Amino acid sequence: MLKKLLHSREITAVAFIILMFLGVGAINPAFLSPGNIWLCLNSSVVYTVVAVGVALVIITGEIDVSVGATLGMAAAVSGSMIRDGQPWLLAIGAALAIGLAIGLINGFGVTVLKIPSIIMTLGINGIVRGLIYVYTNGKWVENIPFDFKNLSQGRLFGSITYFYLGAILLIVGAHLILTRTKRGRYMAAVGDNIGGATLLGIPVDMTKFASFALCGILAAVGGALYVSRVGFVTPIAGNGYEMKVIAACVLGGISLTGGVGTVLGAGVGAAIMASISRVLVFIGFSSNYDDTITGVLLIIIVVSDALIRRRAVEQARRLRLAARTQHATDGEKGAAAHE
Amino acid sequence: MSEAIRLPEDAMLSVRGITKAFGSNSVLKGIDMDIAKGSVVALIGGNGAGKSTLVKIIMGIYQPDDGEVFLEGKAAKLGKPSASLAAGIYLVPQEPMLFPNMTVEENVLMGFMEKSSDLHRRLITLLDHLGWKMDLSRKAATLSIAEQQLVELLRGLMRDARLLILDEPTSSLTFNEVQSLFKIVEDLKAKGISIIYITHRLTEVFQIADRVLIMRDGMITLNGPVSDFTREMLVAGLLPSNVEITNNQFSCKNVSYEGLQPALSIEHLTGYGFSDVSLKVYPGEILGLAGVVGAGRTELATTVFGRYPVISGKVLIQGKDVTGLSTRKMLEAGLNYVAEDRFLNGIFRISNVAANTTAANLDNMSKCFINFREERRITDKFITAFRTKVTGQDQLIVSLSGGNQQKVVIARCLSTGPKVLILDEPTRGIDAAARGDVYTIIEQLKEQGVAILLISSDMEEIVELSDRAVTMYCGRINHEFAKCDISQDNLMAAAFGVAEGSAQNA
Repeated sequence: MLKKLLHSREITAVAFIILMFLGVGAINPAFLSPGNIWLCLNSSVVYTVVAVGVALVIITGEIDVSVGATLGMAAAVSGSMIRDGQPWLLAIGAALAIGLAIGLINGFGVTVLKIPSIIMTLGINGIVRGLIYVYTNGKWVENIPFDFKNLSQGRLFGSITYFYLGAILLIVGAHLILTRTKRGRYMAAVGDNIGGATLLGIPVDMTKFASFALCGILAAVGGALYVSRVGFVTPIAGNGYEMKVIAACVLGGISLTGGVGTVLGAGVGAAIMASISRVLVFIGFSSNYDDTITGVLLIIIVVSDALIRRRAVEQARRLRLAARTQHATDGEKGAAAHE
Repeated sequence: MSEAIRLPEDAMLSVRGITKAFGSNSVLKGIDMDIAKGSVVALIGGNGAGKSTLVKIIMGIYQPDDGEVFLEGKAAKLGKPSASLAAGIYLVPQEPMLFPNMTVEENVLMGFMEKSSDLHRRLITLLDHLGWKMDLSRKAATLSIAEQQLVELLRGLMRDARLLILDEPTSSLTFNEVQSLFKIVEDLKAKGISIIYITHRLTEVFQIADRVLIMRDGMITLNGPVSDFTREMLVAGLLPSNVEITNNQFSCKNVSYEGLQPALSIEHLTGYGFSDVSLKVYPGEILGLAGVVGAGRTELATTVFGRYPVISGKVLIQGKDVTGLSTRKMLEAGLNYVAEDRFLNGIFRISNVAANTTAANLDNMSKCFINFREERRITDKFITAFRTKVTGQDQLIVSLSGGNQQKVVIARCLSTGPKVLILDEPTRGIDAAARGDVYTIIEQLKEQGVAILLISSDMEEIVELSDRAVTMYCGRINHEFAKCDISQDNLMAAAFGVAEGSAQNA
């Protein structure tokens, strides 16, 4: 039962999103129109890209709460460069460099300085958020050229945006890397049992470094997508995204203790997160409840995961101890039979 | 230098003159050892003998301070785990280090550089070769400990390990699982693989090993073919050499407890890690509880203290049934427990001496705010009584020496005024002078009428302090000794499960 439940966490997440759509559709049938469904999915593109990065970090047993600020910084820099007429590729390249730099700093703090990742990335989040104000002087980055904004509107068959299609390809690619390559497997191994990984000679620190670097880069990609989709960048752009994407990962079955979960789940979780604010509107709630509901979902899932896990650990401990005492009885019998 | 060293021809692994110290604590004092190809060498020794340090040096986790490791006669540089793995050495740890959320196959093949299809083929061939049947797609979390150990063995064999180190492989196995493990060990031996077999169970030495090595205090004290020894000789080898195998006849007086009410009485108690344990501790008595690590002593103590659930049986304090009460209620009933591991469970690291002394007693010291004058008075009383070396009550507890930390922890337990005190390894890792002080404290408590259950792996300590002693083996009490029968060799034999039947009145 337990195994099954754990085994199919991606499936449960898909079931959750379908039930959510059907439930809201029962209240307001307009929600089930293809146009609205595509809107929900397409609007999840930024969450999806950032969630894939955070998923890599969580799977190695760490956490990154600096993605919101990384996204904001990348968006502010690339947005202002595009506004000022710089080549788009240069602007995007600058964004990625920022993401990589932040990711490397996080990785350095966690693996070399041995700072707990929650503290390291929280501190970096504050520092980068502050630098956004310095860089933008507290002003909005506006007047993004129409051409660039229009990129986010391009659709295949008039339904799925090219952006979201790209995000899906990213998920598939990341999934293949995690499950089919050695270095990808190392990530899950490090998160699953760091002591065991060390004993097998797996480069534990390098693996963590890589996951933070990739997470930073993907958060920066999210920032560039944000510029195109939203069309302006405020100094608080990306604020609160860390909770959204961590909740997306957890909803999709990624365990915060590391080692468990797939990026497929993170993608489904991101779609759920993006849909919730629209759900609220359609059932006549204020979308002010958005963050509250995200937080509640996050805690419910983490707590129930922890309870299941604790039971399993305690069960294993008891079995092990029981084997010891059983040995005494069996051993005596065995010895008696011997003589 | 190395050409002067003569190594046996058939040695798979040889170590010469290995020393290792942690700070001022010298753990290995010159180890020489040879492991022949295709042989099983049993390595036994008490806690702190240095076995695990030696293994960690061979595995490249620690660096030796001095000495050399040779593989097949050639000096080997084993700087890190990957070097040892590449040299064909594999450690199967006591608690298997698997990735619980991965399948058996993923667990075995993790860390290889080859193509996964090649690896898969090699694994299948290996399994065929060994004749093992295993579902490779099962998650490691669902495996029993015995199956997990097989996975660890497969990991080693896939690396073409020529030397396997098995660290207490049977400590969590049932009898049948042990038997099948022994078959596997025989198989591997026949294939020319050398095995270092670390164990606490002397019976197994005779079942499985070709040679036996005994370590004590960082030295190898006994080394030879198993057939040259009897169990009694091994027990003698585990004891310090200066021990007179005599009882303290002159001071020996068996005390009769007829008609007295025990302060702590445990009746047929079964919990996780121990089974059907009965014992009584009387006021003003020290009952020694000896045994090897994993015998279930700490599990017994923590269960009695209310940390883990009782399965069946009873615990009585001064005749009052307190079975299964919470730790807080146990404290109120007059029981206290000084935990085994000071760093994990004993001290509040970033607090000062005063706060640590009174932490268990805050209810009696405060109505709303803590009465600092009272706190100072209590702390001062214990510092003076125990001769604790501190610069002042405000000194941080982590800056004290181990012995002085332990005094503070005992003081904290005493500040609740317990009638029964369980001391779990009270002198582990503390220096000789502080040890003497702790012994004095224990003797004083006894005179004040506190009933003391003294858990120790140090047989000398049990002999010196106890009025009576019991030994635990595999979760059960297997022997009880009256004062006159307590001797290191008796205790050691019973703790290692060598049934002599001497003084058995349990």
